[in-house]
Amino acid sequence: MLKSRTEPPLRKSLRSGDYGCQYVAHDSPVHRMGAAAKLVFGMVLTVLAAGVRTPPTLLALVLVTLGYYLAARLTLGDLWRDVRLFLFQAVLVIPLYCLVHGFAGGVWPGVRISAQIILFYLPGVVFLRTTRSVDAMRGLRRVIPYRLSFLVFVSIRFVPLFFRELEEIGAAQRLRGARLLPRQQLDPRNWRDLFHCLLLPLMVRALKTADEVSRSAEARAFGLFRERTFLDAAGRPAPEPGATAPQLPVPLDSVASGACCHKLDNNSKEI
Amino acid sequence: MDRELLKIERLSFNYPGASLPALSEISCAVRAGECICITGNSGCGKSTMLLAIMGLLRDGTLTGTMHFSQPPVSDRWSRAAGFVFQNAESQILCNTVAEEVAFGPENLCVPPDEIVRRVRGALRAVGLEGQEARNVERFSAGQKQRLTIASVLSMNPKLLILDEPTSQLDVQGKQELLAILADLKRQGYTLIMAEHDPRPFAPLIDRYLVLKRGRLVETARSLPNPGQYAPQGAKPESAAPDHGAPVIDVLGLGLIYPETGEVLKRVDLRVQRGERVHLFGSNGAGKSSLLRCLAGLERPGAGRVALAGLESPRPERLPGKVGVLFQNPARQLFAESVREEVAFTLERLGHPAGETGSIVAEALELCGIGHLAGRAPLTLSFGEQHRVALAAVLAPRPELLLLDEPFAGLDFPQRLALLDILAQMPVRYGTTVLIASHDELPDGRWADRSFLLKEGSLAEITH
Repeated sequence: MLKSRTEPPLRKSLRSGDYGCQYVAHDSPVHRMGAAAKLVFGMVLTVLAAGVRTPPTLLALVLVTLGYYLAARLTLGDLWRDVRLFLFQAVLVIPLYCLVHGFAGGVWPGVRISAQIILFYLPGVVFLRTTRSVDAMRGLRRVIPYRLSFLVFVSIRFVPLFFRELEEIGAAQRLRGARLLPRQQLDPRNWRDLFHCLLLPLMVRALKTADEVSRSAEARAFGLFRERTFLDAAGRPAPEPGATAPQLPVPLDSVASGACCHKLDNNSKEI
Repeated sequence: MDRELLKIERLSFNYPGASLPALSEISCAVRAGECICITGNSGCGKSTMLLAIMGLLRDGTLTGTMHFSQPPVSDRWSRAAGFVFQNAESQILCNTVAEEVAFGPENLCVPPDEIVRRVRGALRAVGLEGQEARNVERFSAGQKQRLTIASVLSMNPKLLILDEPTSQLDVQGKQELLAILADLKRQGYTLIMAEHDPRPFAPLIDRYLVLKRGRLVETARSLPNPGQYAPQGAKPESAAPDHGAPVIDVLGLGLIYPETGEVLKRVDLRVQRGERVHLFGSNGAGKSSLLRCLAGLERPGAGRVALAGLESPRPERLPGKVGVLFQNPARQLFAESVREEVAFTLERLGHPAGETGSIVAEALELCGIGHLAGRAPLTLSFGEQHRVALAAVLAPRPELLLLDEPFAGLDFPQRLALLDILAQMPVRYGTTVLIASHDELPDGRWADRSFLLKEGSLAEITH
């Protein structure tokens, strides 16, 4: 009996995730690209985004980047969720350019700068949305140590969480009277609210989350060995027992490592 | 269950700069296969003790002895103890279920084939088999909690440590967790958990260690002080019935999310001035979505919403009229002092400075935090921050107060105190109070009316 090929079902919704930059677990040509290839391609697009100067090259780059985004089977709804915060800067940047250089002289540079910022960021979004963490870490560890690649990975892994936090804190503060709407932020007197009511609580939240994340990783033996294996590292030889002895000190004041007995006092051990 | 697995002697810990020790001279022992519950009110040192056992405390001064009698692990691909943190959101580090469960074994350099076996085994143990490829963000709070347990089980620990494992869970989630932990205990795992309300786990727990201000004050075989969970005093006084226009007037409200489908199905809700309402529903039932629709943060697909006389309210029109307290309200704090924090909305509403001072003082007194007026909100404990956030939303004496999961993270006495504060609002200011929660109210007599939201449909519970 012939086995029918199972096609991924067509999505009916306009967006694939609950919030921006969220990993989307479906199949696409971009999903099938290696993490390293995506990194290189993304970097090329990013460098080009920084370099474009003329309307035709900008338009071409927009089309290429958009094509790359849509090739990942991401939708325009997803795109809106990913870039809407950057549209906010466009609302500020373009009028400021017009204010300084006049409408005729300021509108193109304003549009160009705003578009460049979005184009600079979009390849990273595609990477986040199409790359599993294990693939991302494997791709990164070829160029940097795995501890550093974990740091980079976790930093971007939690970007969606902070988008959600940003939205929720913003909602709570607007209900308390904070002036955070884009049209309210056009008035510089309200920028104080943006910092005090939104960015400050977000920073506090980020620090707290960073602490919790590092504890979570530490509790699961992260950093205990110089190397690590990977779930689907097919063909990759497992390290011989004893070949990679722990290089970092096992926490002596815990039972987590299986340490048999440890005395903490005798002149109060400082940890 | 006779072999002693862990022995702690005279364990003390001081956080840097703290005048009192977080843990003071604690001595106890845990036998293999036992289930121990460390209990006590918020701030008593439960989490600190668990972190000390795991060696995860940073800074500060730790003294005492811990003896783990488990023979040194036979292979280096295991951990002796696994830790499940309170907040599953920040414990989950990877995108998919399989990656998350594999994270620990990968760090232990477990060979890939063995990782696959462990991932399957751990997911089977928590009832998540077959979900390996799923994105963790789509999981419910209960599923996330089970995933964090699986991510620890995959390191083959003998001792499982859980910090407030039910804090995010609804009734069903708690029952599922209880079944999983009972199964793990049957398999020989030793369990140590910290819980301020251990009642859901009572059938499982062999011994309770009661902490108070960092000291071990009691060891018990049965639930310590069960009387504390019974509401004290008379039923809260209700406001005089009001027959005017309803404060909440919702008719045929419908909401559809593209990813999850219909969240709210033709919801009708009418609440009069001064009523105390409890909206009960499990995780994902649509409570938060309903509150977001009421607050104008979500645009419903169908129906009409009128709040405090405002048709289709927008958030910018609500300050002063409607107060909303979201889950984890401490994250909205930003001011340099509690007084400034509470005065924020009043200043935005243009109240004169003298009047603002007296209103703020009254709100602080109502919430029992008058003595904290000059303190920086971010330096306070979780329970105190919660009260500051509450004082900030009730200071303008709103016509309506909406609270989403206000009991999360609070111990039982704090929950009762919160209900007491909220009971005074209708009587003092005629405020209508609506609490949405996945837990029963600590005092069931508090609510004038109760509603059940289930799969997007709302029904009034008649007693």
